[in-house]
Amino acid sequence: MFSSKASKSGALSWLKHPRHYLFFKIFVWFWLTIIGTVTALVFLSNISVLNLVSNEPLHGPMEKNLAYTARSIERSAYKHNRSLESILSHPRLSKRKLLYLSAEQSDISFTNKETPINIDLSLLNFTKNMPPQIVFTEQYQAFGPVQLTVPEGVFYLYEIDINNQPPLFIRLKLMPGWIKVSIAIIASLILSFLFSRNLIAPINSLKKAAIKLSSGDLSARAAISTNRKDELGVLGRDFNSMANQLELLISSQKRLLADISHELRSPLTRLKMATGLAQMQANEASQSYLLRIEKEANQLDQMIADVLQVSRLEAKSQTLAMQKQSLNLIVEHVLNDAKFEAKQYDKQLTITGDASVTISCDEALIASALENLLRNAIKYANNTISIKLSHGDAVHIEICDDGPGVPNNQLDKLCEPFFRQSDARDRVSGGTGLGLAIAKNAITAHNGTLVLSNKDQGGLCANITLPIIKE
Amino acid sequence: MKLLMIDDDTGLCELLSEYLSSQGFEIQSVHDGEQGLKLAQANDYALILLDVMLPTLDGFEVLKQLRQTKLTPVIMLTAKGEDFDRIFGLELGADDYIPKPFNHRELLARVKAITRRIEHINSLNINTTNKLLVNGVTINLAAREASIDENTLTLTGTEYEILALLCKNASQVVSKEQISEEVLGRRLASFDRSIDMHVSNIRKKIAEHIKTERIKTMRGSGYVFIQGE
Repeated sequence: MFSSKASKSGALSWLKHPRHYLFFKIFVWFWLTIIGTVTALVFLSNISVLNLVSNEPLHGPMEKNLAYTARSIERSAYKHNRSLESILSHPRLSKRKLLYLSAEQSDISFTNKETPINIDLSLLNFTKNMPPQIVFTEQYQAFGPVQLTVPEGVFYLYEIDINNQPPLFIRLKLMPGWIKVSIAIIASLILSFLFSRNLIAPINSLKKAAIKLSSGDLSARAAISTNRKDELGVLGRDFNSMANQLELLISSQKRLLADISHELRSPLTRLKMATGLAQMQANEASQSYLLRIEKEANQLDQMIADVLQVSRLEAKSQTLAMQKQSLNLIVEHVLNDAKFEAKQYDKQLTITGDASVTISCDEALIASALENLLRNAIKYANNTISIKLSHGDAVHIEICDDGPGVPNNQLDKLCEPFFRQSDARDRVSGGTGLGLAIAKNAITAHNGTLVLSNKDQGGLCANITLPIIKE
Repeated sequence: MKLLMIDDDTGLCELLSEYLSSQGFEIQSVHDGEQGLKLAQANDYALILLDVMLPTLDGFEVLKQLRQTKLTPVIMLTAKGEDFDRIFGLELGADDYIPKPFNHRELLARVKAITRRIEHINSLNINTTNKLLVNGVTINLAAREASIDENTLTLTGTEYEILALLCKNASQVVSKEQISEEVLGRRLASFDRSIDMHVSNIRKKIAEHIKTERIKTMRGSGYVFIQGE
């Protein structure tokens, strides 16, 4: 089985190596870009305050209208001989927009109504000699000038349109600098975060699913919205359909193995029965062949049982008969058989520590796991098999042999069904190639772990950890 | 001695009847559950070999319905490794089980262990009024029945044998190995729970009449029938 180192490192490792994370890179780049843009805009808008007054030529009805107003003021000044002030205060004019009249030479000026205090109309005096135009300032827009001549002299007429509400950018400009900066930072931070998360989320989900898949969880899928249409969405969906296909293939292969094994039992039962009948009538010569047939049938029987057990354990359909049981009792039981077996091969079994602890387990399953590991150790040991028992928060059982060990790159594969380290290992020693797979799955079913490793001085070690479930 | 075999594997039935008849048994075989149940209810067989996977009515259903009227000894033929089948069968009142594919010698040994009792009854029938009264439970060794205050307990053959063994050795620990060897006629396999299942069935049946516990479990060693409160 594969394992990913990335998944094991802490959740905050991106803080240590931000350059290793696409998320961080994209996040920082976008954040900087947005901050840069906003800063530039603010900077530029600050510069433009200096020449906030701009203008463009005045044409069309607005100009005619203004000219008409100028002519009518001239007319009433000459015809009725009224002062400019009284003309401007006439309701017909005073009801209109703010009008501003500025004398050509002097600083004299009139308006047709009260001018808001904060408005500085004197700015317009600079435009007196220009053709009619629209002048934009911070506080108002002015249309004019239009020259008019009254008995009091030459005046220039402007129509003023006051900006009741200063425009947004002006309000922004009035804010204190630190607020502007923090708004820009927070807004761009949130935006960049959302953006990069949106980009990285499917990649992370793909990563998680791939790790799960490679560690054997075939039901793992990447959580990617079906609405996502970009490359990542397509990649995610392709990944999921690949995983579906993989799961289908592997599960059907496993089911096939289990089904075949199950179906093989009926003919095997008949074979054994028929052999039994033949043995009753056989003569001395054929008896040995019949014994051989019986032995092979038993081997076949054991293999089928093992295959079915592994597939049940892998499919998690094994019903665990959980019972509180003293581990000592189980270990003792298994060790008695193992001692006997070791003696037959002239090998020694040394036991240190004890396992006087009660655990909740399926004793038959745990016993078969230990049995398989011990049988394996006895098979490959040169002289001694050492067993170490200890318990604290969990139970630890270590079974080591002093045999040749296993190449490190094959350690992971040892627990796969039917894996054989070398072609030299044949079935003469009586294994089915499923012992370690059963052991591994049986221990995993109890939420424990089985780790195989090589000893420095040679030999294979199996480390079992079983949790102690406290009530 | 007449045996009934209920198994849908006709080839196996043929071979088995040939084998068992050579050992002095008479075998009748049927291949579906419904028919098997009818025959089992209508006749008194010495033993029934019952497969779990059967057409029309599965083995458990046959056993359940049979046990409502009859205590004919039943050996379940279960698939090896299907622990649930084994435990469920014993809970429903099967006398023993044998995993498929089985060894013919092993099958014969189990069949003999259970049918031996019947021969035993026949030989003992002459011997009258051989009764045992232990702590409110009466064991009629002649009739091979157990009763509490005149109420006969509906025990299967195996359950009766275990109860009788415990009563004969009241106040003493009887190990599971001893029970297995004396009652089932076989050595107790590692982690075999069948004796526990039988004892648990006996306890339930006693509890219908007596509230206090009569059979005590000695963890790791066996069972004791308690004499005196």
